[in-house]
Amino acid sequence: MIKFSHVSLIYPNSTTTVLEDLNLTIEEGELVLVIGPTGSGKSSLLRLINGLVPHHTGGILAGDVSVNGISTQLTKPGGMAHLIGIVGQNPANGFVADTVEEELAFGMEVLNLTNEVMRKRVEEVLDLLSLAQLRDRSIATLSGGEQQRVAIGAALVTHPKVLVLDEPTSALDPIAAEEVLSILHRLVHDLGLTVVIAEHKLERVIQFADRIVHINGDGVAHVGTPEEILMQSPIAPPIVHLAKALGLKEIGLTVREMRRMTSDFRSEQPVVNQVVAKEIGDVVISFDKVKVSYGSKVALKEISSRIHNGEIVAVMGRNGAGKSSLLKVLAGVNKPDSGVVYIQKLEPFGLHGKKRRETIGFIPQEPSDLLYGQSVKIECQQADRDNELVAGTTFAVLQQLVPGISEGTHPRDLSEGQRLGLALSVVLSSNPSVLILDEPTRGLDYEAKNELTRILITFASAFGKAVVLATHDVELVAELANRVVFIADGDIVADGSTLEVLLSSPAFAPQVAKVMSPQPWLSVKDVVAAIEGMQ
Amino acid sequence: MRKPSLHPFTWWLWAIGLAIAIVRFDSTWFTVACVGAVAVVVYLCRDDAPWAKSFNWTLKLSLWILAVRTFIGITIGVPIPGTEIFRVPIVPLPSWMPGIRIGGSVTLERLTSSVTEGLLICSIIVIFGAAASLTSPHRLLRVLPVYIYEFAVAVVIAASVLPQLVGSVKRIRMAQRLRGQSTKGFTSWKRVAIPLLEESLARSLDLAAAMDSRGYGVSKKRSRYRPISWRLKDSLVVVSSLGLAVLA
Repeated sequence: MIKFSHVSLIYPNSTTTVLEDLNLTIEEGELVLVIGPTGSGKSSLLRLINGLVPHHTGGILAGDVSVNGISTQLTKPGGMAHLIGIVGQNPANGFVADTVEEELAFGMEVLNLTNEVMRKRVEEVLDLLSLAQLRDRSIATLSGGEQQRVAIGAALVTHPKVLVLDEPTSALDPIAAEEVLSILHRLVHDLGLTVVIAEHKLERVIQFADRIVHINGDGVAHVGTPEEILMQSPIAPPIVHLAKALGLKEIGLTVREMRRMTSDFRSEQPVVNQVVAKEIGDVVISFDKVKVSYGSKVALKEISSRIHNGEIVAVMGRNGAGKSSLLKVLAGVNKPDSGVVYIQKLEPFGLHGKKRRETIGFIPQEPSDLLYGQSVKIECQQADRDNELVAGTTFAVLQQLVPGISEGTHPRDLSEGQRLGLALSVVLSSNPSVLILDEPTRGLDYEAKNELTRILITFASAFGKAVVLATHDVELVAELANRVVFIADGDIVADGSTLEVLLSSPAFAPQVAKVMSPQPWLSVKDVVAAIEGMQ
Repeated sequence: MRKPSLHPFTWWLWAIGLAIAIVRFDSTWFTVACVGAVAVVVYLCRDDAPWAKSFNWTLKLSLWILAVRTFIGITIGVPIPGTEIFRVPIVPLPSWMPGIRIGGSVTLERLTSSVTEGLLICSIIVIFGAAASLTSPHRLLRVLPVYIYEFAVAVVIAASVLPQLVGSVKRIRMAQRLRGQSTKGFTSWKRVAIPLLEESLARSLDLAAAMDSRGYGVSKKRSRYRPISWRLKDSLVVVSSLGLAVLA
C-alpha cells in the first residue's frame, strides 16, 4: 500500500540527514508504529507519505515514496486527499469549519461529492466515532479528546485507504486515549484500513502495532515486529523493562501476556503491604473552599487541601475535570471566585516581580511562553540578572539538567525536552519555594521524561520543597509522585498516597501494577527493590 | 445551538456600503454616527466566537492611529492660518529641506482638519473590523469561489489566526508575569512579540498544510453539504447600507 524505496531526506541549512536510504513496504490493513526520540524525524516520515514533505516544507528528497502506486514526487498532497487521511500533532490548528458536522463535510465538499453521498457518510462517521450528540457543537468548545475524534472522523469521511496520525493520544487522558485507539484498532480489522501512527507513550499503543519503525535520529531506521525492535531498543514501555529486569527470555506486549509469563514469579512472592514512610514537612500550600467558575460553568467546587514541603503531588483526572483550573489558582494566574489560597502565608494572585519568582516557579503548558530571548545565552543572562546571581549560574544549572546545549542556540531550535529544561532552569534559578508544572510531559520521549523525573525528585527531596504537577501520564506519576489528588468534575474525589490512589482505579493503574497485582508495586523500580529486599 | 446567522458576504457588503457612504458624505458627524451605529450592531449581533473580539482590537488600533496621525498632523506640515491655540518652538531644519516645518503655531483649523481626516480613516478600519467580527472566517471560506484559491487560503488564515493571536497574547503575557517580569511598557511587548510571531507562524503553516492535505483547491468544482443561501434578511442588511451610499 505504502512503499518507501531508497528514501533519503535532508532539510536545507541542516547538517544531518533525517532519513537515509529507507526501504519500507507497508501492506494493506497493517498498523505501523513509528517510534524514536523527539526531533528524530518521526513527523517527517509521516508527512512524506502524502507528500507534505517536501512539497510543503521544503527539503531534499531522494528516492521515491508511493501510495497505492501514486508517487508523491508527481502528485501534490491535495491530489492524494482521496487516498490518505492525515491527522496532525495538534488537530485544533487544522480545523477549517465552525461546527462538527461542517468540519466532517469539508473534505468531501472539496472532492466534489454529491449531497446524498455526503449525508450518508457524515452519519456513518458520526456513529462510528460516537460523535452524534456533538454534531451541532462549535468545535472551539470541545474537549481535547472530542477534538481528536472529530479530526479522525474528518480524515475518515473521504474513505481513505491510509490513515496517518501524529501523536494522537499525547493530549488525552488514559480513558480518552483508550477510546481513540480502540476505534483505530476496529477500523484496521473491519475495513482493512492501513494506519501509520507516531507516538511516544508506547504503553498505550504497543499492543495494537503490527510492526515498528524505529528512527534513531542519525538517519538510520530499523523496521521489525514489536518484539524484535523492543528487545534492543532503549525506547520501550514499562512492561518491556519489567520483562528485562526479571530476566525473562521473551517479552510480552500486553498485560495479559506478561501476567502469564510472570505467573510463576508472582506465585513465589508473598504479598507484602508496602509501608509508605510518611515524613511530612511543614505546610507550604494551603487552599480552603476554593471555587472557580467560568461563566455558568463551575470548574472547581469549593475544594480544600494542604500540601507539605518535600511532597510531589500529581493532580490527575480526565480532560476538563478542573486540573488546570486548580493549578492556575495555585500559581496565581487566576483569582478564585471564593475561598483562599496561601503559599507560605502569601496570596499567590497578588505577588509580583522578585517576590513572586522566589515563591512560585510555574511552568505553563507551553514552556516556550516563558522564553523570549534570541539565544539560550541571553535567556540565561536575563535570569541571572533578575535574581542577582553570579553571571553563568543559570547556564550551569541548565548544563546540569540537560547537558550539551550550546549557548548560541535559538530556543526555538531546541527539542521539546531541551526547551522544557531551559524553562525549568530559568525558573529554578530564583530558587522558588514551590514548583508548579502544567502537563510537562506532552511530546516528551522516555529519555527526557526520566530526566525530568530525576530533576523533580532532587528538587523535592534534596531541598525539601513541594512540587505540584498536572498530568495524564500514569507511568510518570508512578515513578515520580508520592501523593495523588484525583479530580473529577471540579471536585476532589481521591487524595492519598500514589499507591493507594493508582491501585484503586483500573483505568489509571500503571502497567507494572496491572501485571503484578495484587502486589503493591507501581514501577519496575519498585519490583526490583522488592526482589532485592527479599534476598 | 447558535442562532441562525446571515450569509457570510452580508456584513462585508454592508461594510463596503457604509464605507462608501462615509467617504461620499465626508461629514464628521455622519462618520461618528456611523461608527456609533456600527458599534451597537456589533454588540447586538455578535456571538462568543473567538473572532468576535476582533472589533474591540480594531477600535483600540484606530484610536491609536487617530492619536498618532493627529499629533503628526499638527506638528509637521503646512501651517493653516486661523485661531492660534498654542505655539511650539520650530525645529530648525537644514536648508536643503525647504517647505517642511516641524513645530510652530498650532491653530484650531489645523487641529480640526487633522482630526477629521484621521477620523475618516479610522472609521473605515472600524467598519471592516466589525464585518470581520460578525462573520465566521470559516463560513467565508466556504462561499469564496475556488478560483481564487490562494487568495482564499490567505484570507482564511489571516482571519482565523488573527483572533487566535488575541488569546495567545493573553496567555504569553500571563506566563511572563508569572516569571516576575513587568508587563507594562514597550520592552514587555517586545518580549511578547517573539513567542507570538513564532506561534502564529506555526499555526498558519499547520492550517495551510491541513487544508492542502484535505484536497482544498484541487477540484475547481465544490459541492455543498449544507448550502448557504442568500435570504431576505441578508438583502435588507445590505440594502440598508447601500441605500445610504446612494443617497450620499
